[in-house]
This record gives sequence, structure tokens and C-alpha cells, in this order.
Amino acid sequence: MSETITIDPVTRLEGHGKITIQLNGQGEVENAHFHVTQVRGFERFSEGRPFYEMPSLMARICGICPVSHLIASAKACEAIMSVRIPHTAAQLRRMLNLAQMVQSHALSFFYLASPDLLLGMEADPKVRNILGVAAAKPELGRAGIALRRIGQSIIELLGDKRVHPGWVVPGGLTEPLSSEKRDKILAMLPEAYSSVGLALGAYKQIAGTFKQEIEVFANFPSNYMSLISEEEAIDFTDGALRLIGATGNIIEDGMTATRFTEVIGEAVENYSYTKFAYYKPLGYPDGSYRVGPLARLNIVKSMGTPKAEKELAEFKQLAAGPVSSSFHYHHARLVEMLYGIEKIEEILADSRILDKHVRATAGVNRLEGAGQAEAPRGVLHHHYKVDENGKITWANLVIATGQNNNAMNRGVLQAARHYVKDGKFTEGVLNRVEAVVRTFDPCLSCSTHAFGQMPLEISLLSADGEVVDRVARD
Amino acid sequence: MAITARCLVLACGNSLRSDDGVGPKLAAWAEERFRGEPEVRVIARQQWTPELAEEIATADSVLFVDASVKPPPGRVRLIPVTSRVDSSAQPSHDLTPNQLLGLTRTLYGSIKSHAMLLTVGVSSTELGETFSAPVTAALPRARGILEKSVLRFLGR
Repeated sequence: MSETITIDPVTRLEGHGKITIQLNGQGEVENAHFHVTQVRGFERFSEGRPFYEMPSLMARICGICPVSHLIASAKACEAIMSVRIPHTAAQLRRMLNLAQMVQSHALSFFYLASPDLLLGMEADPKVRNILGVAAAKPELGRAGIALRRIGQSIIELLGDKRVHPGWVVPGGLTEPLSSEKRDKILAMLPEAYSSVGLALGAYKQIAGTFKQEIEVFANFPSNYMSLISEEEAIDFTDGALRLIGATGNIIEDGMTATRFTEVIGEAVENYSYTKFAYYKPLGYPDGSYRVGPLARLNIVKSMGTPKAEKELAEFKQLAAGPVSSSFHYHHARLVEMLYGIEKIEEILADSRILDKHVRATAGVNRLEGAGQAEAPRGVLHHHYKVDENGKITWANLVIATGQNNNAMNRGVLQAARHYVKDGKFTEGVLNRVEAVVRTFDPCLSCSTHAFGQMPLEISLLSADGEVVDRVARD
Repeated sequence: MAITARCLVLACGNSLRSDDGVGPKLAAWAEERFRGEPEVRVIARQQWTPELAEEIATADSVLFVDASVKPPPGRVRLIPVTSRVDSSAQPSHDLTPNQLLGLTRTLYGSIKSHAMLLTVGVSSTELGETFSAPVTAALPRARGILEKSVLRFLGR
């Protein structure tokens, strides 16, 4: 008799998803899926809008990473306009994207993941949350809050709003940086350094206690893809894409936004509204790959900033080749936060950072354009077609969560097979299955204002739908 | 760092979800009413996130303002908030007033002299930028209670 375990909703994620685990007659895990159960429809309802509205429209996709959408969208529009934005605008956009990465990674690490990491996977769910972390490790609670505040404050200073900022427009920015704002940002950085240093120290102390989780949390050979600069350093905003294989071999390099759709395809599965991106020459699912912090650190040769460079060297010691356990996404996230703070400081020292020329203007010069950037969770690709009046006739977005979709599903199956024995499970076991998904920090939809609490209910169902076991978290 | 103010008005809601926007609407009114008064700070958010604990820590008193689906539409309620955390609620990255106060006390050792929650019962949270008739009718009373509460917190 086959049975199904359902985890719905998966908690501590950005958005709403569920997990199902199918058991066979012997109580062994036969299959497992991570389902994204919501539809957004942005690609369709942008049709007919003027292309220059796209950045501000697309930013509404997400309340956590709107800046990445702003930037990828603006770059797609600039391809349609055939313009190159001024140097200062490019630097300021880079800073805005890094500030977003810092606040988003802080949310992921401190608010969503740290309850498992600091209190334990088996801790009472009543305390396994941000309040429990604050009670047990108040210094880390304050550090997380500080990093969120600093990232958001920089976004607000630059774009006037901490969520869904404006400022980034096709051709550049609406206004230059003032010296007053520059000084305010610089004044925040010492606290940012100390906060991320505290988190890195704490993480390294406890990471060794998660040997089993490291072993089975989406730990398998895979391909990885990220942006990389000409100097082979990490780059969140510019550069070109590199795809590497499981041994670190370069499969595809120098992928511009224009070339993206030639080599990246999207498959559809009937259990999820999120698409599954794959590298076309290898087909689906063999061409699936991972993106995000783990992929970025696996691909780059250098961080380009001194403190993060040391951390990268340490990170790369975790494996002889690419680091394959998704548990290490957490570690990579912390290294990237440190890089982000260093890079913001470096950008602010640019002698041209206060230049007034931050925008190029043009009309429709091409009927198609694509743009890409790194969101906190990984590569983000926007691709638009317009008519001669500049109205959008077609849009396609390839988001990080879709590119990690196959790996998340494989990871859920791997963990379920390891932890669910003889059809039996505990809340702690199922939390580990959820925690696999959390390592990727998927962004399903975080801009929706929800009422009430999200309950967690896991039911073990017989083939005829009868509930034979149940764990509920109200 | 957070800006110091004696009284913090902390509203929550989404102005694109009909009656759910009553919190931000009242916050906008409070901003205008107490303009030029540095002792009063007004913040409106779509969610009450943990980092607001820093802001609460710097204030003597806090007035939370929100829509509520529990009371009848249009009913205005003012209730005290304690930092006692309901352990059955599982916080993620948005918190209740109790949880926020608890977090503020845990992280910053800060206890408020006054902490109240002002709610307006809602009838619709569908997409839209207008209020239902009961919420529209309740706005003058909600504004009055908000004003009176802030003045009381300030000892006036």
C-alpha cells in the first residue's frame, strides 16, 4: 500500500509551497516533490505596457529582491534602447544590488535558517524561531537585525523606499548620489562588519555539528551557473554567465543575456507552477544546474575584496572541487554578505561616484532585449519583445528559484530517503526535509500581505486517502 | 540607528488591499496631526518585521495600529499589549505586537511605559484602494482614539 506524506505549507520560506513524500508498500520513500502552489502571471499581464514601465512593474514581483528585478529589467530595456549607461550609474546600481543582497541574506540566515542552526533541528517548534534565537543568542539576534536595517537603509537612502525602491530606470538612474548620503552609508559600515563577523564566527563553531545534514542536504554532483567578471571575480550586476560541471570544468562561458535563451531552456512538471531551467545541450533533467551563493562561490576564482578573499579560500577548502552540499549555502551567504559590505565601501571610494551624469536616453532601437543580474538567490534573466511603439508584446523571466528547482526536488528526495524510515517520521525529521529547501532560500512570492499564522500539517495518507498518521503545528 | 522618539505609532497594512489599508491611512493622518512634534514618530509597514524592535526600543511608548478580521466591520478597539509571547504562534519574518515587544525586551532590555493596539474591524481585504462603508464610517472615531492615546502617552 503506497502512502503520501504532505508538508503544507513549508514554513520559513519566502512564499507558499508544499512538500509531498510518497511511500511504497514497504514504507520506503519512493518519491518526493517540492510544489510551488501559487501563480503570479507577471509575464502575461506586462503585455501591452510601455517598455520603460517594466522595471517598476517587475520590481513588484518580490518584496525581498525587488532591486534585482529592477536591474535585470532595466538592462533588458537598455538592450532595446541600445544604450550603455554611464560609469557612475553602473557603480551605484551595483551598490544598490549589494545592499539588497546583504539585507536578503540577513533575513535568510538570521530569521529563517538560524533557528535550525543555533537551536537544533529537533528543538521544540515553539521556540525554534527568531524569538527563540533572540533568547538563546541575543548578540546574534541584534547582529541580524542590524544587517537587515543597514541593507534596507542603504536601499532607502538611494531609492527613497526600503521595499520597491524607484531610482533605477532604463538608461541609468533618476538622480546622482549626494555627498551627504555617501557619508551616511559609510557611517553604517563599521557596524555591518562587526555584525557579519560575529555571524561568521558563530556559524563556523556550529557547522561541524551538522555532519549528517551536510551529507544528505541536496548533496550530489551537479552543474552550477553564475555571473562572473572578466577577472573571474564575483559580480552581482555585470559580467557574463559561466556554467561549470560537477568537477569544476567549464561547460559554457561568456554567456551574455542575448545568448541566454539560446542555451537555457525551461521544462514544466505537472506538480509545480515553477518552471525547471536546464542547459539545452545536455537536455532535461541532465542539464539542470544550481545557482545562488553556493554556485557563485564554486565558480569564481576571486571575491575581489580582501576580507572576503580570505573567507573564499577557507570556503574552497570544504571540498577538492565544487562544494556540493546545499547545506553550505548558509556559509556562502555569510561570505557574500562580507563581500557586499567591502564592495560597497570600495564603490563609495570611487572618485567619480558623485558625478551628476547618471542617465543615458534613447527610444526604441531594437525590438528585442534581454538583461541579467544576480539576485540574492541566483541568476535572474529578463527578456522582452516590443513593437515599434515600444509596447511589450512578449516577456519571459527566468528566476533563480526555477533554476534551483530540480536540485531542490532532488534534495528533498535525498533527505526524505535518509530520514523517513519504515513510513515513520517525527516533526524533527520533517523539519529537516523542509530545511533542505530553506538552504536554497527560494523566493516563491513574498510581496503578498498575509493574514494569520501559517499552520504546518503533515499527514501520512494511505492509498485510498485515509489519514494513518498526522503531525500538526498550529 | 533608530531615531529616538517618546511615542512611536507603528501601523501595519497594505493600501492596495481595501480595508487592510486602514493602518497606513491612520498613520498618514497621525503624521500630519503630529507634524513638527519630534516626540512623536510614525512608521507604516506592510508587515511588522523583527528589525522594528530597534525602533520600539528607542521609544517610551508604542501604539500599534492595524486592521483586524476578528471584530465586526467598523468596530474600533484599543487594547493593551504585553510582551508575553503566545508560544502557539510560530513567527517567521513578520511578528505580532506581543512578539515584537517580547523581542524588544529580549534583545534590548527595553520595557515600554505604554503599549497599546488600536484595531479597526474590516469587511473586505480584496484588491482595491477604497474602504468599505463600515471602515469609512469608523475613521473619525479611530482618529480620535489614536490622537487621545498619543497625547496620553506624552502625558498631556
